[in-house]
Amino acid sequence: MNSFDATQLATLTSYFRVGTSDASRALSTWLGRDVQVSMEQLEQVSLEFATEQLGPSEETVCACCMRVSGGVSGQLLLGFDDASGLMLCDTLLTRKNRSTDWGELEISAAMETTNIVGCAFLNSLASVFPKSTSDRGLSQNPIDSTWIPTPPVFVRDYAAAIMQFALMDQACEFDSVLVAQTQFAIEKMPIGWRLLLIPDAEVLQRLARILR
Amino acid sequence: MSKIAENEGLVVKMAEIGVLQHVGILRTLLGSCVGVALFERKLKLSGLAHIVLPFSVGRDQSLGKYVDTAIPETIRQMTTLARGAKLSLTAKIAGGANMFSHVSPNNLNAIGEQNIVAVEKVLADCQIPIVARHLGGTFGRRMVVDVESGLVQIHVVGQTVVQF
Repeated sequence: MNSFDATQLATLTSYFRVGTSDASRALSTWLGRDVQVSMEQLEQVSLEFATEQLGPSEETVCACCMRVSGGVSGQLLLGFDDASGLMLCDTLLTRKNRSTDWGELEISAAMETTNIVGCAFLNSLASVFPKSTSDRGLSQNPIDSTWIPTPPVFVRDYAAAIMQFALMDQACEFDSVLVAQTQFAIEKMPIGWRLLLIPDAEVLQRLARILR
Repeated sequence: MSKIAENEGLVVKMAEIGVLQHVGILRTLLGSCVGVALFERKLKLSGLAHIVLPFSVGRDQSLGKYVDTAIPETIRQMTTLARGAKLSLTAKIAGGANMFSHVSPNNLNAIGEQNIVAVEKVLADCQIPIVARHLGGTFGRRMVVDVESGLVQIHVVGQTVVQF
């Protein structure tokens, strides 16, 4: 199992909430509408349930994935069902008629949105995460504040298959995984997008030591 | 095997094992993980393991998670269901995709491939012939096992269903 206790999870949750607040601002500016990204909870879930974080296992969903390296390494995913994702594209492209298929333009819009919301989220987290145990009067295991995401990659596949990929690094070390659950709303209307940051196992081990 | 309802059957989740006899459906969703379906045709006995990683390296928790523990455990569960009868097993395997090689850390790039190699080795060690396979690629798979007929369906988003 991962080794976070309730206090550590609460501390991490407060960091992630700062991240979602900044992501909300960035996404609102990008879409020209009021968007709220909120983090419900940060929890450790067993592998068999972790695969449902993007939706029911057998549901076809879309996800834009960015690999993060640097101070914190892991996977960042913006996931959505077809209808919610295409609605985003229609909003961005100011289309009156609803899109029904994923073409080059729609995929590009989804990836650019992931880039914007993902970078805002990561920049914010990098600024609030404890840099090292020296922040708490100790002195080892620093976390560099430079977090570098790759350009996003778009995929449309079964929800569980996408999550297996995202969870694999943690699965190598643990039988449970740490997942941050987010909710999105545009002008207070909930929409089916999910933002997931799944740190690598080594990062979790370092964080557990720092937050001890 | 005719069309299967979306919610029909026993869902075998990540690192789990499912075993049924006579009738029923076993199903699982695979990315880089490998699904190993074992069949004892005379007894109409089937087992499905959703395997995540190649080797347990001494870990004895979560037997369904690793190739070297999941396959023996599936055989053990099938033997128990067969009340100790000697089993004559065959295997059908699927999965082991490399879905995001361009955004995966190097050590995870080949997990799907490593899983496949390990499954083939352990099945060979157990003298269980692989009679069908649907492996690799860059896409997820839904693997559906019909216990009564021993048929397996592979569903891939946007592709025709494959049955073997």
